[in-house]
Amino acid sequence: MISLHRATKLYGTVIGVNDLTVDLGPGAHGLLGPNGAGKTTLLGLVTGQLRPSMGRVTVFGERPFGNPRVLGRIGYCPAADLLEQQATPREWATYLVRLGGADSGTAVRAADRALERVGLGEAAHRPLKTLSKGMRQRAKLAAAIAHDPDLLVLDEPFIGLDPVARHDLVELVREWSRSRSLLVASHLLHEIEALDAGLAVILGGRLVASGTVEEIRGLIDTLPSEVRLAANRPRRLAEIACSSGLADSLRFEGDDGLVIGTRQPRPLAIALAAAAAREGIALATLHAADRSLEGVFDRLVQLHRGIGSARLERAKRLPAEADR
Amino acid sequence: MNAVRGILAVAGFQLRRMLSPQRLVVAVAGAAFPAAVMLAARRIAGGLDRDFGVVLLYALVPEALCLLGLLVTMCPVVADELERGTWQHVVVRPGGRRSLLVGTFLAAVGWTAGVALLSLALTLFAAGLDDSPRLAGMFAVLVLLSCLGRAALFALPAVIVPKRALVASVGAAIVVEYLAGFLPAVVNQVTVSLRLRSLLVEWMGWRRNLPESLRLFVDDQPPVVQVAAVLVLTAVLLTAASLILAFRQFPPAEEA
Repeated sequence: MISLHRATKLYGTVIGVNDLTVDLGPGAHGLLGPNGAGKTTLLGLVTGQLRPSMGRVTVFGERPFGNPRVLGRIGYCPAADLLEQQATPREWATYLVRLGGADSGTAVRAADRALERVGLGEAAHRPLKTLSKGMRQRAKLAAAIAHDPDLLVLDEPFIGLDPVARHDLVELVREWSRSRSLLVASHLLHEIEALDAGLAVILGGRLVASGTVEEIRGLIDTLPSEVRLAANRPRRLAEIACSSGLADSLRFEGDDGLVIGTRQPRPLAIALAAAAAREGIALATLHAADRSLEGVFDRLVQLHRGIGSARLERAKRLPAEADR
Repeated sequence: MNAVRGILAVAGFQLRRMLSPQRLVVAVAGAAFPAAVMLAARRIAGGLDRDFGVVLLYALVPEALCLLGLLVTMCPVVADELERGTWQHVVVRPGGRRSLLVGTFLAAVGWTAGVALLSLALTLFAAGLDDSPRLAGMFAVLVLLSCLGRAALFALPAVIVPKRALVASVGAAIVVEYLAGFLPAVVNQVTVSLRLRSLLVEWMGWRRNLPESLRLFVDDQPPVVQVAAVLVLTAVLLTAASLILAFRQFPPAEEA
């Protein structure tokens, strides 16, 4: 459905997307990355706002830039707030449907359906400037889906929303993704995780990981991680960690600190907590590396920035130091 | 058919934007200004020479008022969308870029011509000239041609330098219309001002008595050629602007 082959987008000397190759099939996909990672540029390439400086971008088998056949099948909800003042959500959605070539009656009916679908039917006739941020976000979403696209592209759709509005929007988007394709860019990972979407992680304009949540977790399982604790008998806990077979390395910090290198931090942390309770060891702190998607994301960011590789090198050295 | 619907959608939407109370007040004030100048001229001169009145009318309505109206309505065609955060919504629609440009062009021409025609009626009333109905018809054509040609001219800077479109358009108006337009050379053939002046001279019957030195600033072709020249110029400028806009890209940081 979406294919980028060695796609690069340059803004003068600034790189927006860097030699990126990825194929996304039909279904739901999350695009993760911190601010400035190149997510919006990538969405710009996919939605035909931008042309790649190098490489190739195709959507539904065709290049999207200036291609009405492709653009007619895409609905796009940008991150930027809609500052249109006078128009109502109904007028705005109708306008965008008519812009695609629909006649006035069809456009009005399509806009009404979309506004009902996003739960904005009652506020459809209020000027956009009088709506809350969450309602404007829904208005943008309604305008994006009103022409019944095959692919919905959302850029940071949850930004600036209160928890209730976020939850509602997640449910809306989930419901959409059951029948159509979806590409969501966000740095709010738990919402992406809630969408049951495939993931592509982008950093510095490059794709650093892609696959399902489980696949990316599997990837991270191959990387060294850490369990950090502070206890009154750290050496006893070190013995327990070694005997569990889960520890790759050990390092003592001060009189009570212990850092254990491991590829399975959560099982090791559980084992250590159980042992501490059993043997009456006072645990002041116990911290396992976060294995949630957010944790995975943080690790990928660290690796991309070279922090992870330095830690990897250190982890390789630690067993030898521990042996000595 | 789809393209026409898209263009009409934009034209309608832009006209609704222009119908805000603030803009209406500005439009009425703008329309009344030439009439006020004409009244003042009449009062100061203790009456108004017909030819002078016509020249003043020409300078105030098809030239000054139309240019100002188009600067306000046509120049922000892209910049406004970027500022409102609507650019991304529009360009991802099929034919969105072309519809935005041509639809805004139609709205700008319609709005400015409407204000200019209102002003024309008020100013003619204030001038109290003979055969006002004939002058009204003649000036209505000049207003329409002025709006078409100048809107297309302003479309170019609007798509090339959207964030400096106003300054660039003022520059284009001065350099192209009022500098090149008065050069007695081939270059003035591609200006709207030459065509409008020539039509005015022709329709007012001034050509025969025009001093030799002023003949350099008007064209000898018949009115139909002058009108056709403005229409061709409009089509060429608008097509060029449309082609440029079709390939225009803005980094995400420039949007909103």
